Amino acid sequence: MLTAQEPTPPQRTGRYVVVFRDPSVDAAALLASAAGMTDLAHSREFAGQAVDAAQVDSGGGVILAELGVAVVQAQPEQIRALQDSADAGPQVLSVAPEQIYHVLTPPAPPFQDTAELTWGLQAVRAGTSPRTGTGIKVAMLDTGFEMAHPDFAGRQLTAQSFVSGQDAQDRHGHGTHVTGTACGPAAPASGRRYGVAGQAQIFVGKVLSDSGSGTDANILAGINWAIANACDVVSMSLGADVPDMNPTYTAVGSRALDRGTLIVAAAGNNANRPGGNPGFVGAPANSPYILAVAALDQQLAVAPFSARSGSGSGGQVDRAGPGVDVYSSWILPDRYQTISGTSMATPHVSGLAALWAQASNARGRELWAILTMESQRLLAPSADVGSGLLLAPQ
Amino acid sequence: MLSGPVRVTVVVDDDAVDTVAAALRAAGMQIDQVLGTLGVVTGAVPADRQGAVAEVAGVVSVTEDRQYQLPPPDAPIQ
Repeated sequence: MLTAQEPTPPQRTGRYVVVFRDPSVDAAALLASAAGMTDLAHSREFAGQAVDAAQVDSGGGVILAELGVAVVQAQPEQIRALQDSADAGPQVLSVAPEQIYHVLTPPAPPFQDTAELTWGLQAVRAGTSPRTGTGIKVAMLDTGFEMAHPDFAGRQLTAQSFVSGQDAQDRHGHGTHVTGTACGPAAPASGRRYGVAGQAQIFVGKVLSDSGSGTDANILAGINWAIANACDVVSMSLGADVPDMNPTYTAVGSRALDRGTLIVAAAGNNANRPGGNPGFVGAPANSPYILAVAALDQQLAVAPFSARSGSGSGGQVDRAGPGVDVYSSWILPDRYQTISGTSMATPHVSGLAALWAQASNARGRELWAILTMESQRLLAPSADVGSGLLLAPQ
Repeated sequence: MLSGPVRVTVVVDDDAVDTVAAALRAAGMQIDQVLGTLGVVTGAVPADRQGAVAEVAGVVSVTEDRQYQLPPPDAPIQ
């Protein structure tokens, strides 16, 4: 895992590293005459100048001829004498305590699903959050929902279709998957937990057909309905691979925030990073007022398909979430499915936004600001992950 | 040959949605939805009426409707 580590005080050996201005200087003579340092090994005494560490450790130190450097066992008074010496002092460029070095800490092992939690819920620390999304309304605008899913039996759920001729029942699977990630229960009927905000009020708006297609008219009707129902968060795991900003979603995102509704959308899967193509954030996530979400893998690295910020206004990635090998609910009879995409990262952020709305009582722009404050910064470029990985309130 | 009507999304002044919607209809737009909460009107505009619709007072933007398409359910990346 990429976490900032506290700087640790340097560990020292008691020896000093003396650097001479001129590598060809007779370092042994200067060290002996000015500071009484004898018993020094010289790298030229070793075959191929491969200095024997054991011999150096037991003696007074070593002169590394090719570098013009001596590593010496010395008392502080001897170092001062060396630096004050009229002969040797001007020849010495620097003296510093020798430090102990360690192999750089290897990255933590990648997150993986356990019997209790998906890797994504572990990464965002949802398992230990006291917040559940109680009292928060989350709208999932997608392909609908599997109304007979056993994990959601008895759950308060409002559903509406904006696709003509089709009810809100999901016959694709995508909508059931993203709804599960954002709002799945703390204790599913079977298997591990996969949902962030297990007690949020779910509003399912079907804006994509059973074949997974929709238009702006469908999506906007869904957003209008969500705002009219005072939904606090709108989650949209959908997008078109067009880089130009759509003025409709600029106005809509801003007006939604004015009404206290935060819209979260997928940045897009149009990157092929191994092939050198970082992609771009598509519509509607490329509105400045819609929170665009990138996908991370189990080591919190940017997923190979996850789109990078574009150059235009609004085309930036705002946040990242778990989006590789994400396990969640699916239409029956399969019941569960593991898939990847910025579509899967988005509902992690939407569920977390619900937890923060509950914890902070903030909405709209204020909630957006809190989410930025509460994101764990990542070492990946901000163009790829925005302000990083949003974590659950603890 | 004249091209058919174009499906559009019109963002309007959100203080006067109904008034602007009526003006859009008068300018030749076939209106499907008036989304009052958002201040958005959706519908279709015949090719020869597009200029007139864009010039209606209170119109913020006119954008051609876009299609969104998810990958099939069995695609590994969604």
